[in-house]
Amino acid sequence: MSLNFYRRVAFGLSPNETPDKDPLNWAINQLDTIPDLLWPGTIPTEKDLRKKYGEWVYGDREVLRKKFKNDKHAYRKAKDELRIKTGERYFELNEHAIRHFQTKYSKQPVFERFWLFWGNHFAISEKDFLAEFSTGPYQREIIRPNMVKTFEEMVQSVTTSWCMIHHLDNSESFGPNSKKGMEWGETINENHARELLELHTVSPNAGYTQEDVIQLAYIMTGWAHKWDRKNLETGDIWFDQEMHQKGDKVVLGVKYKNDAKRELAKVIHDLATHPICIKFVSTKLCRHFITDEPTDEMINPVIEAWNKSDGNLIEIHKAVITQAYKYNEITHKFHPPEIWLMQLSRMFDLNIPLSFQKMKYTFKLKPNNRQRQLSWILREIGHSPYRAKQPNGWSDLEVDWVSPELLLRRFWFASVELPMLVKSGNRSHGFILSCLKNNFEDHENMASLIDNFRFGTSDYDLGQKYGVICNLPGVLKI
Amino acid sequence: MNCTRRNFLIGGSTTLFLSGYFPKISFASMQKKNLIIISLRGGMDGLTAVPVIGDKRLKKLRKKLILEDVLNLNSDFGLHPKLEIFHKLWQKNQAAFVHATNIPYTGRSHFDGQNLMETGAHIPYKEKTGWLGRGLLASNIIGKGLAISLPMPLLLRGVPQNNNFFPSPDFVETKLIDQIYNEFKGEHNELIKSTLDTIRKRPLSMQIATDSDDRKKLALEAAKQLKDQSGPRVAVFDLDGFDTHAAQGGVDGAHADELEEVNKIVTILHENLGQAFDNTLILTLTEFGRTIKQNGGYGTEHGYGSAILMAGGLLKKSQVYTDWPGLKKKELFEGRDLNSTIDSRAVYNSAMSICFNQDPEFLRKEVFWGDELPDLSQELFKI
Repeated sequence: MSLNFYRRVAFGLSPNETPDKDPLNWAINQLDTIPDLLWPGTIPTEKDLRKKYGEWVYGDREVLRKKFKNDKHAYRKAKDELRIKTGERYFELNEHAIRHFQTKYSKQPVFERFWLFWGNHFAISEKDFLAEFSTGPYQREIIRPNMVKTFEEMVQSVTTSWCMIHHLDNSESFGPNSKKGMEWGETINENHARELLELHTVSPNAGYTQEDVIQLAYIMTGWAHKWDRKNLETGDIWFDQEMHQKGDKVVLGVKYKNDAKRELAKVIHDLATHPICIKFVSTKLCRHFITDEPTDEMINPVIEAWNKSDGNLIEIHKAVITQAYKYNEITHKFHPPEIWLMQLSRMFDLNIPLSFQKMKYTFKLKPNNRQRQLSWILREIGHSPYRAKQPNGWSDLEVDWVSPELLLRRFWFASVELPMLVKSGNRSHGFILSCLKNNFEDHENMASLIDNFRFGTSDYDLGQKYGVICNLPGVLKI
Repeated sequence: MNCTRRNFLIGGSTTLFLSGYFPKISFASMQKKNLIIISLRGGMDGLTAVPVIGDKRLKKLRKKLILEDVLNLNSDFGLHPKLEIFHKLWQKNQAAFVHATNIPYTGRSHFDGQNLMETGAHIPYKEKTGWLGRGLLASNIIGKGLAISLPMPLLLRGVPQNNNFFPSPDFVETKLIDQIYNEFKGEHNELIKSTLDTIRKRPLSMQIATDSDDRKKLALEAAKQLKDQSGPRVAVFDLDGFDTHAAQGGVDGAHADELEEVNKIVTILHENLGQAFDNTLILTLTEFGRTIKQNGGYGTEHGYGSAILMAGGLLKKSQVYTDWPGLKKKELFEGRDLNSTIDSRAVYNSAMSICFNQDPEFLRKEVFWGDELPDLSQELFKI
């Protein structure tokens, strides 16, 4: 088995790890439990961060905009101060540190790869201040705990999470015949219902109609944030009977009797166990780990595991890894920038993320450049994880990641930025060679390409070496 | 004067069914024509950019957002003082505006709206390619798109081999690429290899690191590329920050700052395209306009109808082309927004037909699923 299996399903091997005698078992044994988050610094709760979100939007919208309505300069200044005070510029940096610390040091890196996958399947795209306050804790508190449960349970949690409901506007969706809908002349917002069908469960392959979307939106009416004058839209999610559309609903030919808040769980059950949903999500899993265009032969065993286990994600993950192992030598998979960065960080023990002591924040000054570094790098290489442009998340296809500038950014990172992230004890040529040997079959050929610089340990020399190594076809993809 | 509906409509949609399209092979069509789209994200306020000075209602509804020193266009419309270049070009018949126009989207969500302004579709997130990419593909113009952004914008997706320009913070030695180029073997490395080819063929000026936050430098490089007869034919710029819920202001407000950015880009393009400006169309694109009435924070909320700012030598004449819906309460969309009486996709479809030498009818079918979009080429552009 090639060493690239450790990069196909994880992040490669760090300098103090060695290849396992049984790589398939090594990988499969990582999926039964949820590893603890290792970040030694602050890990705030979703609820705490939502409170901060509330302070920020309230302060800006209800206080500053009114106070400085005639003075844009004073307004901007006051707004910047509020950013610092509420951590609006900080929490996303901290979340990136938590995430990258995990992928770098986790003893269950294969589990972490699935964590990234599900976070992107149920993506929160760049909207309002979600990336600043909420997407990170959503990944930790909604996605992660559900990874040892069933797919259906995952969909239930995601669909009623504050983050997803805010992201897809379900709080603005009123049943037209509900009490509030009639009083206020409001109607449904289909956004969340459409994405629940299209992106999260059955996909357009199920052939649903506009009427199905409307009917599902009716079922979902009432699942909304609590609103009050102080917390605005950041209140907890509840079921507001006065927003809920009365009457029976029909989605994909199935009738759902008028049953208030219980309707949603029933329809999610049917969607999450729908054969087309199972095929759609299995295909996406295989696409992530095996190849851009997985075949039925690759996907079918995953579908079988799904059916046999009633959608148990542990069993599904194991089936995916088994398939990834089986096809490891004959398929190729391109890695998007963030996974590439995580792999480089683990394989070459780079100095990211910043230590938790240095990540500490006082809410008095702007985050400093070192604290912003990892997030800045992610942005510059084009893959800021919590800022996908659309609710379908980041693409898993090579074609979407290969533009001239996006490739150049990788050369830039590896040759200019990376040398500054090499730990002082790791600057020797021998260190690079040992990392290559630990992770690549053709390490000798790779070494020969950087042999000219074997005596160099300056930033420039390291840049020349890493600039070449990190952009070789066998590193950009497996 | 009292602006009432249809005062300004000249020619317009009556010619829609009468004018057939006659493709001409003339000297003009042999010259490379450039189409430049500037995306204005956040909702550009057409009434701030091109205020209707002939209607007193606007002043009444926007007491704190009143513009002084409005540049004069005609007796009915003025121009925001920060849009100087458009005023200058207006005198030479090289600037024009389409007013009370928008994509057919009334939902007021930035994300859905921006998705639709790029895909040109009706349902958010349904289409995965952009109208400009589909237009290029249908016209068999491959490898001629240039995006001034890091990822390939959705607007340009759908046609292969586009280039983009958004340099990294530091110089990247392309000699690194030479060192590993031959390692890219086999079919599965073809895409990366051909992209490396595109990089290696890039002119030196595109290899120099610059501050990608400096839009001036980016525009300068884009002009340089577009000027080249064998260079790109389409360029896409991206601006955001038009979402001015507060302190929108008048002459110096937050919206004015953004308009100034547009002005900067167009000025640089005009100065540096030289003769090629005569064969160029520059059009803006936004997801929606803004409410007529100022809000409690002296800003405006998400609205509907907006305006398209246009510049370039391929314009027919200086004009504010509109089917003016009026600003009386009952004339407003949902009682609050400037209405949209022209589907802005008709303007874009017509612009593509001019720049790509294509039958607008053909493009309408290939790009916009045969949606009913009148051909405005004769009204707006030089044929």
